[in-house]
Amino acid sequence: MISKEDLKHRIWSTDETLEREQYMALQLERLKKTAERVYEKVPAYKKKFDDAGVLPGDIKNLSDLKYLPFTTKADFRDNYPFGLFSSERKDIVRFHASSGTTGKPTVVGYTRNDMEVWKELIARIVTQAGVTNEDTAQISFGYGLFTGAFGLHQGLERVGAAVIPMSSGNTSKQIMIMQDFGTTALISTPSYALHMAEVALEMGIDPAKDLQLKWGLFGGEGSTESMRNELNRVWGIFSTENYGMSELIGPGVSGECLALKGMHISEDHFIPEIIDPETGEVLGPGQVGELVITTITKEALPIIRYRTKDITSLNYDKCDCGRTTVRMAKIQGRSDDMLILGGVNVFPSQIEDVLLSTEGVGPHYQIKVYKKAHLDKIEVDVELTDASYLESYAKLESLNQHVRNRLRTVLGIDAKVNLVQPASLPRFEGKARRVIDLRKED
Amino acid sequence: MAIKQLSVLLPNQYGMLANLTEIFFKEDIDIRAMSVYDTTEYGILRAVVDDPEKAVEVLKKNGIVAMLSDIMAVNPEDRKGSLNEIFHILSNNNVNVDYIYSFVVKKGGPQYFVLKVSDIPKVESLLESHGIEVIKKL
Repeated sequence: MISKEDLKHRIWSTDETLEREQYMALQLERLKKTAERVYEKVPAYKKKFDDAGVLPGDIKNLSDLKYLPFTTKADFRDNYPFGLFSSERKDIVRFHASSGTTGKPTVVGYTRNDMEVWKELIARIVTQAGVTNEDTAQISFGYGLFTGAFGLHQGLERVGAAVIPMSSGNTSKQIMIMQDFGTTALISTPSYALHMAEVALEMGIDPAKDLQLKWGLFGGEGSTESMRNELNRVWGIFSTENYGMSELIGPGVSGECLALKGMHISEDHFIPEIIDPETGEVLGPGQVGELVITTITKEALPIIRYRTKDITSLNYDKCDCGRTTVRMAKIQGRSDDMLILGGVNVFPSQIEDVLLSTEGVGPHYQIKVYKKAHLDKIEVDVELTDASYLESYAKLESLNQHVRNRLRTVLGIDAKVNLVQPASLPRFEGKARRVIDLRKED
Repeated sequence: MAIKQLSVLLPNQYGMLANLTEIFFKEDIDIRAMSVYDTTEYGILRAVVDDPEKAVEVLKKNGIVAMLSDIMAVNPEDRKGSLNEIFHILSNNNVNVDYIYSFVVKKGGPQYFVLKVSDIPKVESLLESHGIEVIKKL
């Protein structure tokens, strides 16, 4: 379907095809600057460097990166909201946020220059995924604090695509707009795309025949090859996956090209490493471990060695598409217990926090995650501890609704809540296995 | 003194009822009346037993939360129209009935049923003033 010649036309920037030595030189220079910047401007980083006994000036080679301290999600929490920022308020032009581990969101900021970098990174990703200025791109990520929608939006405009800022939800309207506007590229989570296809079919519209879609750019959550095949079949599109997280910039960290042999990481902006999640030791190319990323061009929020918790491997071989940037494999799993529900990150501990602060129910819980009509569904079993709710169905029902509302308010998820007998849920010693994820297919 | 009713949370899972009746059987507790409705998520089992305090204790030992509440038991006459009379008396006096259920009837024995209302003493006197037998003790 796609020739090698065609692949080569789909490179946005010459910075995607540098020689390895050029990338390394660029990375070393930018890493030094970034380390100096955070050491000087961010007290939390100065302390981290000092505790690790390393100074920015100690960086002589790229391999010295391994001596620098890691950054984790906890650092964002501890320095909420702006403690990790290295730019002053007057230089920030945008905030975004994602859900955090304690109910407080993870806040990120962008300077004007960061916004330019972000647009550039997205322009690369959408170009390598097939989109050009001939395309009409419908963004079906939710617009708001999450980085997904605005991130893709700006980059798609940069390549000249006609952007439809549709946001998520109102699925039948999505289909109508697709049909009436002649949408050619769909940007959403893979599960929402599958759901939309079903709704279209219910409306009597065959997405593969009656719509003009060519490209599907999916992200915000992991997906499987069988999902990709299904998406291609039902929509009649060519699907690619892209990857990112707000802590690093948002979407734009990496994405697949049409050769579909891994997700290209823009190495002039990021340095990826793979580590053993237990020991922190750096692993070699091809070895599977936790992805760690250092941003080397960001101003507002440069991040040193961010532990993504995502399990993958790196491949430095030149790709069929002509790019020389390193590729990361499809995410194989997480090194922690984070769940991604319809693109929203949820930690089981957040659910525990909600239950602990809700009267009438106990702190023990069990989570079941599954797919219904391709959408992520979550059920939470909680123990009823206060017998007085048994007085009437109405009281029991209102307690159930109360727990449900609190989960929605704090976590942004709509969970089905099942009240169960006290002491009926399993107790764990050591690492608890409270999550039953029935979504895993291949 | 009103009769005590036992309420137990009953998740919609296989074996929940059997589990409960097994506990009662082992602990020598006699079930006199019982009801569960077909709600979708979970049910509340309501029961009248011979020793409600003991029932709560043994359920607690088995990790099951139960609560006691007051209900009324009424013994309508065994003839057509007796229930009709009772509910008309209640309705004419603006008494709201939350729910009712029947006792297990022994052959030839009395035909009690359980009446859940908010102001039990008032309804007791009301029904008694109309000559309807209210059961004070099982």
